[in-house]
Order: sequence, then C-alpha cells, then structure tokens
Amino acid sequence: MTLGDPDSRNGGRAAAAMAVLAGLALACTVAPLMADGSVIRRHDADPVVAALLDGRGSLSFALLAGLLGAALGLGWAIAASALGQRAERRMMDAANRLLALPLILLVPLAAGLAGGGVGLLAATVAAATAPAVAALAHAELRALMRREFLTAARAAGLSEGTILRRHLIPNARRPLLAAGALALPRALAAESFASLLGLGLPAPVGSWGGSVGLAARLGDGLALAPPALLLAVALWGLCAFAEGLRR
Amino acid sequence: MISRPVPPPVETNALTLLSGDRVLIDRATLAVGAGEVLAVTGGAGAGKSLLLRALAGLPLPGIDQTGSARVDGRRLLIAQGGMLAPRRPLTMQAAEIVGHHLGLDTSASLRRMADALDRLGVPAAARRFDLPPDRLPDGLRWTALFALALAVGPAVLLADAPGAGLDPTVRLRLLHRLADWARGNAVALILAGRPEDGVAGPASRVLALRRGRLLPAPPPLPSPVLVPRTGGTGAPLLSGRGVSVSFALGRTAKGAERRLTAVHETDIDLAEGETVALLGETGSGKAMLARALAHLPAPSGGRVSWMGRDLAAADATGMRRVRRDLQILFPDPAASLDPVQTVGAQLAGILESLRPDIPADRRARRIADALEEAGLRAEIAPRWPATLSAVEAARVGLARALLPEPRALVCDEPAATLSAGERAMFRDDLLGLRDRRRLALLLATEQAGEGLRHADRGLVLLMGRVVESAGAGALLHGARHPLTRAMLAAARGEAPQLDGEAPSALAAPDGCPLRPRCPNARSFCSQAVPALEEIAPGHHVACHYWDTP
Ligand code: SF4
Repeated sequence: MTLGDPDSRNGGRAAAAMAVLAGLALACTVAPLMADGSVIRRHDADPVVAALLDGRGSLSFALLAGLLGAALGLGWAIAASALGQRAERRMMDAANRLLALPLILLVPLAAGLAGGGVGLLAATVAAATAPAVAALAHAELRALMRREFLTAARAAGLSEGTILRRHLIPNARRPLLAAGALALPRALAAESFASLLGLGLPAPVGSWGGSVGLAARLGDGLALAPPALLLAVALWGLCAFAEGLRR
Repeated sequence: MISRPVPPPVETNALTLLSGDRVLIDRATLAVGAGEVLAVTGGAGAGKSLLLRALAGLPLPGIDQTGSARVDGRRLLIAQGGMLAPRRPLTMQAAEIVGHHLGLDTSASLRRMADALDRLGVPAAARRFDLPPDRLPDGLRWTALFALALAVGPAVLLADAPGAGLDPTVRLRLLHRLADWARGNAVALILAGRPEDGVAGPASRVLALRRGRLLPAPPPLPSPVLVPRTGGTGAPLLSGRGVSVSFALGRTAKGAERRLTAVHETDIDLAEGETVALLGETGSGKAMLARALAHLPAPSGGRVSWMGRDLAAADATGMRRVRRDLQILFPDPAASLDPVQTVGAQLAGILESLRPDIPADRRARRIADALEEAGLRAEIAPRWPATLSAVEAARVGLARALLPEPRALVCDEPAATLSAGERAMFRDDLLGLRDRRRLALLLATEQAGEGLRHADRGLVLLMGRVVESAGAGALLHGARHPLTRAMLAAARGEAPQLDGEAPSALAAPDGCPLRPRCPNARSFCSQAVPALEEIAPGHHVACHYWDTP
C-alpha cells in the first residue's frame, strides 16, 4: 500500500491533456523562429506556421480572459456561500438564470456595439464564462460543507475560523481549481466565435477563429484546416484538463 | 402416483465452481423440497450470488463447473438489489414479465399481479404502480418485486439478498410473507443473505457458506442472560428537556413559515456510567436527537445541559470543556476523517484543541495511547485516511473519541459501514472500554435486540417521538408498544406484526403515527396523538391501547 498524498492518484487523461497543451503552447511560442525571415507577416507564411502564430493570440487571450472569468466566478460562489442563506439563494438563482442564456452572443455583440479592443473583449468574455464557474464552484462548496469531517471537527471544539483554515480551505482548493479551469475552454470558445464573425481580437493579433473565418470567406480549404484543427485540439485539451482536475 | 416419492425440485451433488484453479464453491450438496424454505447465509463475497446463479442456470463466464445441479420446473432468480428497470412504469414491466413467462395478455398478467399483491398484504390504496420503480419507496419496490415473482408462479424461487437495505421490521415481515406463500404453494424457496440480514428467520433450514463450503449453520448463540447493569446511578451527566429538531421548508403562499419537525419535544437523561439505547427505524429521528444532544448542531428547541450547565449558554471555552467530556462516534467513520490530513495530524489538532493542559511534547504519547486503546498500532498515525480499511477507519474514529478522555460517548449507529463480524468485534471492544473507563453511552441503533442487550435503558422513537421507554430488561421481555414488539420480533427473526413502511415525515398521518401499520389500531387512534404515560415504575408507553395483548 502506498502512503502517497491521495491527490496524486489522478487519471492519466488530465496528464495527457496537460502534455498536449504544453506542446501546443511551446509550438506557438517558437513559431516565429520557424517563419524564417526577420519580419513576420502571417499571410506570407506557410499555413501551419501561420496557424501556430495565431495560436499565440488565441491561447494567451484565453488564458487572460479565462483567469479573469474564473476569478469572477469563484468570487461569486465564495461570496454567495459566505453571505448567509438569503443572499446565497439570490446570487445562485441569478447565476443559474444567466447560465440558461446564450451568453456567448454577448461577446460579439459588445464588440460590435462598442468597437472592439482587447480590454473590452476580455471583460465580456470573463462575464460570459463566470456564471458557469460560479454554479459549479457553489455546488462543490455546498457538498463540501455537508461533509461529515466538518461535524467531527466541530465535535473537537475547533472554532469556525480554525475549521476554515485547517479543513475547509485545504479541501476546497482542488474542486475550486477545477471549477475555475472550466473558464479556460469557454473563454477560448467565446473568443473564437467572436473572431470568426470578425468581431473578436483586433486585426494585428492573430487568432484561430479569425483565420478560420477569413479562410472560409476566401474559400481557401488549405488555409482553413490548420487553425480549425489546432482550435479543436486546444479546446479538447482545456476541457480534459478541467475534467481531470475534478476527479 | 402417491407411493412413489417425488424427487426434490432442487438437488445438487458435489457442485463445485472453479475460477482457474481457485475453488469458489467446494462440493456443495443440497436438496430443497417443494414447499421448503432454505436460507443460505454468508458474509460478503462468500459466493452466495454465484451459487444462486449456478442454480438458476445463468451463464457464469470464466467459471468451470463440476458435479451436478438439477433444478426442475420453472425457476426464477431475484437478483441482488432487485432487477426492475428504474424508469419504466411498474405496471408495464409487470405485464411484460408475467406475460413473457406465462404467455398471458396484458390484462390477465395484471390480474395475476394484483392477486399476488393481495397475498403480500398491500392494500389497493397503496398501489401506485403507474410510477416508475425509482419513484416508489424502497419497501414498496421490494414488495412489487416479490409480487412479480409470485405472479409468475415458479416452482423454484431463488432470492439473492432479498430486501437488503430495508428496515428489519419491514424486511422480516416481507420475508415471512414470501416464505408462507412458498410453503402454501409447494414452491422451493432459497433465501441468500448475510447472517445479519435475518434471512434465517423465516427459513426451516439454514446453511452457512464459509470458505466455499456449504455446511449447516451453527445454532445461534443463546443470547446472554441479562445481567442487570449497575450503571446509571446518580445525577444525570447529560440531560435534554423538550429537545426538538426542525428544519425550515421555505414559505407557504401566504408567507407563513413551513417547518418539518424531525424530533418533537423529547426529554432524555444519561447518567454517569449508564448506557441508553435509542432505538428506531430509519427516519425515526434517533440520529438527529443524538446529535442534537451533542450540539452538533444545537437543537431547534428545548435545552440540553451537561452536568447541570445549559449548553446554549456556554461560551467557546465552556463548550470546549464540555466537548472534552462528551465525544461522538459517527456512522461512517471514513467520511468523518479529513481526506487531506494524515491520521496523526488530525488527532494532534484535536488534542491541542480539547486538552490544552497536555504539553506539546507529551501529545504524541497520548495519541499513541488512544490508538492502542482503540486496538490500533501507533504506526497508523502517518497514514492518509484514504489508505485505511473500513475497520481501521472505525477504530481511528474510536481513538479520536477517546483522545480527550471523555466521560460520555454519543454513538450514532457506530461502525454501520462494517460487516456483521467486524461490527460485533468493534462493539465488544467499545463495551469493554465502557466498563473499564465507566463511560456513559448513548447508543442510537436500529438493531433493537442487540442494542438493548448491552444497555441499561432503552428509548424507542417513532417519527420523532418517544413511544416507549423503560429499563432494558423490561423492554426485552415486556415491551408494550406495537413498534417495540415489532422491532424485537424482527431482531429474533420472527415476523413483525406491522404492515408497510414508516410514512415520510412530510406526510405524517393524523393521530398516532403508527396507525396505518398498527395491528391494534382502532378509530380513536387517528384522533389523538397518544401521550407518554407511566404504566409501571420507570416504564412509559405512548399508545392508547397498550394493554391490548
Ligand atoms: S395508539 Fe393505536 S395505532 Fe398507535 S400504537 Fe397504539 S394501538 Fe397502534
């Protein structure tokens, strides 16, 4: 019998997803070196290298907006859990109602109305992903609060502060992380959708969605395949990673 | 015709089941005649299911069979857990299954099913069989399953862990009905289950499956003669007055608050060194009452005091002092351990909180002592809870409770997750500790017989109300309330005289909560909730007709 940390017994899927994501990120980072020539112009490069160059924009934006959305959603769930029953019910009702709406449409809509900009795009993407994160994180927190070992800790006369520090936070870390990770694929999907419509990341920053949209408009199948494929792989990787964390 | 003996419908001769070169069932020889009821008992993984599958003629992939097994006539296996499709309405499934076996059309099949339900004593009003099985209460689902078997009318019926998970009162009643039907209709019935499931009760013969061998079960140990315990003297340590537990259910349309009361005003005392059994079926509120007495969480009404001091008025330090003396054992010991801390770290944290008087350098010693007292070795301290077996987890739970050297333990179905043998050992150790340390025990359990044998006093709960309380001996030998009698009958393996299942707390009947199931019920029972009255010194009963035999 091994005496390992129970957290280390974790599915291989998350590890595989991590490896794929790391490879993708690395490839995107070194892509400029592959595009020989001092000036990098995406449109001149070979389609695969161009897609990798796009990946820099898509992935870093997904990271930025995803982290923002995760923080927003987690803050929402934690605040709801901490503020007492009535506020909790209100806040989570709101999250669930928002969750039922096609929030992803908000992203191109806001960009279209207010004229783009990375900051605005990140804010709308974060807002669109936050309710899902909040709902999952809240469900996890509620399940955690009902666990018997918290009762056992109360039976040991520990104060609520000590229970929070010693039992709740260490046990909440992982499910909250998993809930937060949910924001990454959603952010990537939202950005790609908006870029596909031409209302996403501004032109100098390349993006998979943008390239797919452009190639589709030009009817260029050869240019369409690489970004579409990389987008699919990245989405799978991020989803599998978030799933794996929940185990 | 008459002179020739009929061969028994089930007969095996040296039936051996092998998986590779591992012997799973070793030369099982048995014969079950028509109208005979045989019980096969064995612990988890003893091979009961395998034996039944072999008898039912179901394929056993990867298993070689030698010896002979002959089963005549139509055979039916009720598989473990019941085999109904969860989502389809029961009537449709019944029509299909009965129709398939007997070649009947839908209406004839349903008529047979209705007849079978009559025989099992399900009143027509309770038949909500247009619902899918997963929406039925457990007891009704099992009854429906048995009725289905009756409707098919096999010559041989094999039941694997029948009624598992039901309350003993409900399960034993059903098993007896099934056995009566088998005897009346010359059906060979085999009931398989764990020894503690009570399958032996309705059977005429019991075989035990142990290490692959099928042997006559040893006769049950004569229940030890009750030695009146001398505990329970002096002023109460723990006492509850008018303790009630209720939950908010939201508001009605008019804005009034709706509450679900799980425990009604209850008085209870636990004296120094005394053992009190808190008995009740699932949902009777015994666990909630036990926890309310330990302020985990505090009751919604009434007051609990420890050595005369009101717990509600205690500050954090005072409460910690009480908790040092009053510890609790949880029903699922593994779940009561924090998964991300080692056993030792958790115990150290508890000791630090409850026994600040023990200096830091002596804590390790105290933890090792508590572990040893609970039957563990100190080497278990660096382990993670996920690596503990169920028995180890239960003993860690015991060590944790013993750590601050308490004077009373509240036990909420202690070690309910263990198998019967392990639980018996755990219970013996717990009782030994009680006697050595003069611990007071409050023991919430659904095992009426076992609970009372080790207690000084017993309280029987029904839907959040105490319906009978008396000394353990008086309850064991002279119980007056129909529920107490039914629970004790089930504990002895006899058929309890109660119909159906406990109603949900959300749909409590008017008057006496037992009325829909009670054999003595009269019309007055639905008019007033019977109050607890003293019928003999120290013996209280809440029943309008307690003197009806
Ligand atoms: S009061 Fe009536 S229904 Fe209740 S237990 Fe007594 S006889 Fe039965």
